[in-house]
Amino acid sequence: MARFIVRRFLSLIPTLFIIITLSFIIIRVAPGGPFSSEKNIPEAIMNNILKKYHMDEPFLQQYLRYMGDVLHGDLGPSYRYVDHDVNFLISHALPVSMLLGTISMLVAVILGILVGIVSSLRQNSWVDYTAMSVAVIGISIPLFVIGPVIMWFFAMRLQWLPTSGWIDSRRGWVTIIMPVITLSFTYFAYIARLSRASILEVLRSDYIRTARAKGLKQSTVVVKHVLKGALLPVVSYLGPAFAGILTGSVVVEQVFLVPGVGRIFIQAALNRDYTLIMGEVIVYSLILVVLNFAVDIIYGFLDPRISYK
Amino acid sequence: MTLFRKNAEALPAVNEFNQAVKPVSLWADAWRRLRKNLMALAGLFIVIFYTLISVAAPLLPLFPYEEQVLDHQNLPPSTKPAGEVLLHQKQEYMKKVLAADSRTEMTDDEKAQMASLEAEIKSNPIHQRHYYFGTDSLGRDMLARIIYGGRISILIGIVGTITSVLLGVILGAIAGYAGGGIDNFIMRFVDIMYGLPYMLLVIIMMALFGRNIINLFVAIALVSWLTIARVVRGQIISLKNSEFIEAARSMGAGSGRIIFRHLIPNSLGVLIVYSTLLFPSFIMSESFLSFLGLGVSAPLASWGSLVSDGVKTMEQYPWQLLVPAVVMTVFLFAINFLGDGLRDALDPQSKNRV
Amino acid sequence: MKKIFVALLVSVSLFGAFADASMIINNGAEPQSLDPALIQGVPEQRINTAIFEGLLRYNPKTALGEPGLAESWTVSKDKLTYTFKLRANAVWSDGTPITAQTVVDSWLRSLDPATGSEYAYMMGMVVKGADDYNSGKGKKEDVAIKAVDDHTFQMTLVGPTPYALDMLPHQAFDVVPMHAIAKYGKDWTKPENFVGDGPYIVKEWKPQEQITVVKNPKYWDAKSVLLDSIEFLPIDDNNTGYQKYKNGEIDWVTSSSIPVANIDELKLRKDYQVSPQVATYYYIFNVTKKPVDDVRVRKALSMALNTKELVDKVTKGGELVATSIAPAMPGYTPAKGNAYNEAAAKKLLAQAGYPDGKGFPKLTVIYNTNDTHKKIAEWVQQKWKTVLGIDVELQNIEWKTFLDIRNKHDFVISRAGWVGDYQDPNTFLDMFLKDSGNNNGAYNNPKYDDLVTKAATQSGAERFKTLNQAEEILMTQDEAVAPLYFYVNQDLIDLTKWSGWYANPLGIHSYVGIKKVK
Repeated sequence: MARFIVRRFLSLIPTLFIIITLSFIIIRVAPGGPFSSEKNIPEAIMNNILKKYHMDEPFLQQYLRYMGDVLHGDLGPSYRYVDHDVNFLISHALPVSMLLGTISMLVAVILGILVGIVSSLRQNSWVDYTAMSVAVIGISIPLFVIGPVIMWFFAMRLQWLPTSGWIDSRRGWVTIIMPVITLSFTYFAYIARLSRASILEVLRSDYIRTARAKGLKQSTVVVKHVLKGALLPVVSYLGPAFAGILTGSVVVEQVFLVPGVGRIFIQAALNRDYTLIMGEVIVYSLILVVLNFAVDIIYGFLDPRISYK
Repeated sequence: MTLFRKNAEALPAVNEFNQAVKPVSLWADAWRRLRKNLMALAGLFIVIFYTLISVAAPLLPLFPYEEQVLDHQNLPPSTKPAGEVLLHQKQEYMKKVLAADSRTEMTDDEKAQMASLEAEIKSNPIHQRHYYFGTDSLGRDMLARIIYGGRISILIGIVGTITSVLLGVILGAIAGYAGGGIDNFIMRFVDIMYGLPYMLLVIIMMALFGRNIINLFVAIALVSWLTIARVVRGQIISLKNSEFIEAARSMGAGSGRIIFRHLIPNSLGVLIVYSTLLFPSFIMSESFLSFLGLGVSAPLASWGSLVSDGVKTMEQYPWQLLVPAVVMTVFLFAINFLGDGLRDALDPQSKNRV
Repeated sequence: MKKIFVALLVSVSLFGAFADASMIINNGAEPQSLDPALIQGVPEQRINTAIFEGLLRYNPKTALGEPGLAESWTVSKDKLTYTFKLRANAVWSDGTPITAQTVVDSWLRSLDPATGSEYAYMMGMVVKGADDYNSGKGKKEDVAIKAVDDHTFQMTLVGPTPYALDMLPHQAFDVVPMHAIAKYGKDWTKPENFVGDGPYIVKEWKPQEQITVVKNPKYWDAKSVLLDSIEFLPIDDNNTGYQKYKNGEIDWVTSSSIPVANIDELKLRKDYQVSPQVATYYYIFNVTKKPVDDVRVRKALSMALNTKELVDKVTKGGELVATSIAPAMPGYTPAKGNAYNEAAAKKLLAQAGYPDGKGFPKLTVIYNTNDTHKKIAEWVQQKWKTVLGIDVELQNIEWKTFLDIRNKHDFVISRAGWVGDYQDPNTFLDMFLKDSGNNNGAYNNPKYDDLVTKAATQSGAERFKTLNQAEEILMTQDEAVAPLYFYVNQDLIDLTKWSGWYANPLGIHSYVGIKKVK
């Protein structure tokens, strides 16, 4: 087991390396560059700008220089937000997305699994139908609709909350409420459906029947036996979902003006801010690869059928 | 499909007491169980209905989806002719203008405008049109736009799901069954694709290859098979050491036979649930791209682009959001319940055979 | 739960009532930089006018130049040499005096090719020797600016360009704190290091969240600075911005952030301000590509568009119909152009060999991704189809790719817009010079070039006449572009709450004199 973990962990390094290299190539292939602008810039000036950012060098040299800097923990200056370094921008935005993402994920997981359990135990009852209908709504309405509708309802109609913005001294923590509701909704829906489906599957299996036949109480069966088996698909979904919720909350961040990494990311891609995109890719893939690794390990603990050779 | 039927027929047709029984194919059996599930059946009919409408759209008596009637902007859904709705809308607007200026009387100019509008409505046959779903900000018929938008969205869903399920199942099954170096290679590749932010890939692909529907399909599908592959691989790994596979192997079945006749059908339940989760996610992905302005090219519409346009005016013209959103949600609901029903019906472990 | 929210809300509003006078602005986007030499966009400019000032500043009502750091100036007889007298009490926010040498150093910094300033070309257009230095062809010493003494600054122009004075408030001519730049290097714009000479100074900068500027007590005209602070919010979602405004969380929604989809509702609002802008919306023809290399096709395409209908029923913001590239300006009458005329358009298309659109090649109109551009393109597509019987395809392209395609002349017809950098027809007409970097349509007419170049040596009414002749060639004769309309500034600000805010042709507001009334 320990050997497997170490080996699996070491294999992450080349994966990350390839991801970074591929991204470095891909973004430079896209038309337009970070410094193209509507007013055409004189050649001499353009050359100087390119020189300033070492973009006049051969591609390989740029790549080696960049990788060297990254190894030293320096993600370089932003090409778009020229007053800032990528390190500064990401260190400013990542905690925001982390906070929003973690809270939303917790809400989604707790509610999702609870609803999943209740629905599966009362399969085909009105509780089940209602819960699953809500879940389907969560899956089938885009976030960019849910967000504005929630904003309209809570901020404009009921006047309970400020429309948007992020936690600050003036408004306190209330600004986090609507982004969390919006962001956790979709994930809640997925988790509720997934856990319902897998609990149903487990409930039908022989070992649960055995447990019941032994005369164990329903609650004991559910907590001790069903949940452990049923959580597998949920766990494997959580890894990518968590990375997605951390970095992919683009819509929620844009609608509610949350200064997180998702918002920067789309801007950076559209602006061809090479260094900022690369910085985001590195952070994103690091989180994702590590989380997937964690999922594999947890899987091993949860599912006795998987053996690590 | 024939694959499974043959499979079922090949098995000795005897029951637990070794009495001969009429062989029941997996699909006939599934259909029998599906018929009992009302929600799933309703879902099936809705999906068929949408599909028929989408296929037959060019034959339906619709106004062209791109035709603009600038006088008919933002008309609410109604069974009355457009002229009447328009007149009512103008009167309401005049009331608001008067209220804003705190006047009670219209100016002569405004009165003349209203009179000429009334005359125009009476004389011009275009005002006899009916817009049952209302119109958009350029005076285009929402009904036609929603139907044509549905064609695009459903197509994206179908193509995307098929592509990613095929890719995912094949690669996931190979990885899970073969294990070792092949497994490692495929899964590292999946890890790398996972690690590349999906939006970046899509934006760059759009920038590189220009924007048309085909590229949109390809971009979305290419990055979506990963989850399926992981899930299938997990299923296969946990199934491949089970007794019935050992039995098949001991009877001399080859790898391909084991994968495609035994392992995949046994993972079908999970696959179908994932597909029904995937299908909406393609429609969602497309709508997200529309939200960013990277969706289908104007004047074409998709459900996503209609909803993302509608959300901007949801207070003023709520139907521009509600109608496409409801149409889209109903469809996705149907897909979901149908998927659930299919899962229950196809579950090879379910023992309630008739 | 509800009670908590209400209590919170009450405390928020009470806090607001007792707080100092502050204005919260929807600035539309996160600024690229605060360094005047490195900025280009409108959001950056909006912050810039609050924190920096050059020799002249913008008059809030006219957006023309008025005395800033320079309290007065004299012009030589040949209209080539300007001598400015700087204010004796002009200091940086840290107390360091601003001298004529500071102005010289700041301008040279902006021109220095190593700085990489994208707007330095504006200085190159008027100041002698500046263009050569900026493009790496000339020497620093040959730029015709000098500090005569501590408080006298002199510049010599390339020609008697009358618009030079009105260009001076532009950020390209800003004065920057050379002493702070020397000390902090790249970090000089960070709030903790910031030194400025504008009415406000930077206090806080939270990326993607807000920039707060507070009153600069050392500003020479500090008595006219009537707000304690201004907050700039980078709201890229126009609908959120609008909700925020309606909810009283922001005070001013600036022109580019107006939610155009809600125009019918906006027009009923008392706080919706509309004013003409020196800016044109048009479609560029790439004159080297078939079929628009034929002037008859260009004219037909342009004349088929009932632009009155476009501004009345599609954009609806009070935009003005355009038949020329330059809008009318004091003293300048634009070219007549070719107005909407369906019959003439059809005839021209037939003459070009495509009667009723038959045989017309399939072509694509490109536009950058944006709701308004999309709507207009859909309208244009429909018009060309119904009036001329031709089918065109629309393609929206994200901004950077769009720029790339346009700069490579890799299109047939493209959407474009141009906002004047200063109030003179020259800012529009010099785009179409053969060698202009902004000549995306590859327009080439030596006669036009001669006239525009000749105008640069003239002044007054004579100059405007030459420019008008040039524009007649460009527009009426050659139809190099299809003009659609002249933009308007659209702002949401309640003028019963804020006094001293004026709509002006450039849409640039200096914040001096803006006051909270209630």
